Amino acid sequence: MAGGWSDERPMSPHVSIWKWHPTMLSSILHRASGIVLYIGLLKICLFLAIMAAGPKVFERWEGLVYSPLGAFSFFVFTGILIFHLLNGIRHLVWDAGHGFNAKTSNMVSLLIILTVAIIAAGLTFIMVGSMS
Amino acid sequence: MNDLRTDLSKVRGHGAANEGVHEFITSRVSAMILALVFPFFLYGIMKALPGGYEGLIAWAKSAFGAFTLLIMVTAGLYHGRIGINEVIADYVPSTALRSFLLILNAMVAFGVWLMGVMAILKIWLGA
Repeated sequence: MAGGWSDERPMSPHVSIWKWHPTMLSSILHRASGIVLYIGLLKICLFLAIMAAGPKVFERWEGLVYSPLGAFSFFVFTGILIFHLLNGIRHLVWDAGHGFNAKTSNMVSLLIILTVAIIAAGLTFIMVGSMS
Repeated sequence: MNDLRTDLSKVRGHGAANEGVHEFITSRVSAMILALVFPFFLYGIMKALPGGYEGLIAWAKSAFGAFTLLIMVTAGLYHGRIGINEVIADYVPSTALRSFLLILNAMVAFGVWLMGVMAILKIWLGA
């Protein structure tokens, strides 16, 4: 933790000595995906600015968007967005005071991660398919 | 002497962070808005992308497309700014660096929001 920690009382267990479990993973992923989505939104705004700048400027960036890298980032960002969305809805349910059972929570976490992988792969498949 | 808080501080109920539940509530309300708009955004962009420049412009030019984009960018950056603020507040112990990053985040969020909204309006109003 922060340098200069002088409190001699025992600290609460930290990340490194926890046994990993699904809700912990989804909690960390929620925060990580939030940070990535923020960067993604900055990119979307940049892309909108490029669109607004006219076809000549757009042409210069077109190749990047319609490339395998573009398809890969579509997969990553769509997946991350859907994860943040599903897990976010679960957080809203938690905020309302429901669904605190540990077993159910762990199962929902795994279910969300699995669903995200399937949906993102499916959407990318449709997206790439509609390009050709 | 167990309680050093003044009566006024207790009435305000803001705690050590000097703020109330404003960000807690607004981050959740913006989350709900984003959850409602996201399907339209995803559908719109997936339909527009194969059309290249013309397709994307046609989407952003339609009233519904521009509306979707405006809400997505506005609620998204609002929600994102609160989230990143929370991350900064959690992990940056130095007051000086934390303040700097919080202000930087505010400027990035607002600046990028302005850029996005100006771009959408420029396309929508037909430039």
